Amino acid sequence: MRSEPAIAAAGPASSDEETVAALRVGDERTFRDLFARSYPAMKRVARTYVASDAVAEEIVQETWIAILTGIDRFEGRSTLGTWIFGVLVNQAKYRSAGEKRALPFSSVAPSEPDDPAVDPDRFQKDDDAWPGHWATPPRPWQKPERRLLSLEVRERLRAAMTELPDRQRLVVGLRDIDGHSAEEVCDLLGVSPENQRVLLHRGRSRLRAVLEEYVDAADV
Amino acid sequence: MGPPRTAHSDSELSVTADEITCQQFVELVTEYFEGALEPHTLTRAEEHLVMCDWCVTYAEQMQSTVASLGRLGAGRSPEPPESALAVLRERSPDGA
Repeated sequence: MRSEPAIAAAGPASSDEETVAALRVGDERTFRDLFARSYPAMKRVARTYVASDAVAEEIVQETWIAILTGIDRFEGRSTLGTWIFGVLVNQAKYRSAGEKRALPFSSVAPSEPDDPAVDPDRFQKDDDAWPGHWATPPRPWQKPERRLLSLEVRERLRAAMTELPDRQRLVVGLRDIDGHSAEEVCDLLGVSPENQRVLLHRGRSRLRAVLEEYVDAADV
Repeated sequence: MGPPRTAHSDSELSVTADEITCQQFVELVTEYFEGALEPHTLTRAEEHLVMCDWCVTYAEQMQSTVASLGRLGAGRSPEPPESALAVLRERSPDGA
């Protein structure tokens, strides 16, 4: 689907080593490039810990100060991206200590209920002619495809994103809005590929349902 | 053949099913697009799509949803804060 820029490597020619070496001698262009590419994901992760955009931005700022101050200590045992996000999460936890928000990424079992992707009533039951097949099938969106570009749809999607459980919102945001790869997201969040997929699946399923409701209502 | 089972996990599905239902397909669609289905299950999913226009529609809706999310992308990142630039500049050999 989307092409995914790596979070930390400055481009196809730059490895973590090259990026870190450049930062150590104060190379501003490398820093600006890295800052810009990392910003959406860093802001997104920080935002899950705190109640406001402004505080999330402060957390990102503080993280970069800590990174640049301590850059000599980076040993390359993890990727640069992992290290940056480790510092970010520590900053976020510190700042959010008073806010009582917990983000149990380390927990083994998903904490959300096991919602089906589609309302089971949309499918035929065991005593119907074709159990498990559509009873109320989805209608094609081709004609209203242009509607999906509209401002209203974007606002609906943004609103629906805020209503997702935290972990689903984070994974969908990092993958589908910010364009990171599955591997990067697993690395950043410390979740297994399977967990990441489950969260992505549940989040996307809910959002598809939101868009379906919108398109169906618009067609009436 | 027996009634379709409401399997949810991919591994369950790959052991028991000769064909999958629409209700099963909608649970597999993300793994399908991620390329994460076991070969047996992938075959079943593709066979299902050949026969079921509605599930093709559903899969296309999922793709449209993802594409719409992509368009929400953040746009331009802000400038780095002066506080961070200051730390960076202290490292530069000529102090600039």
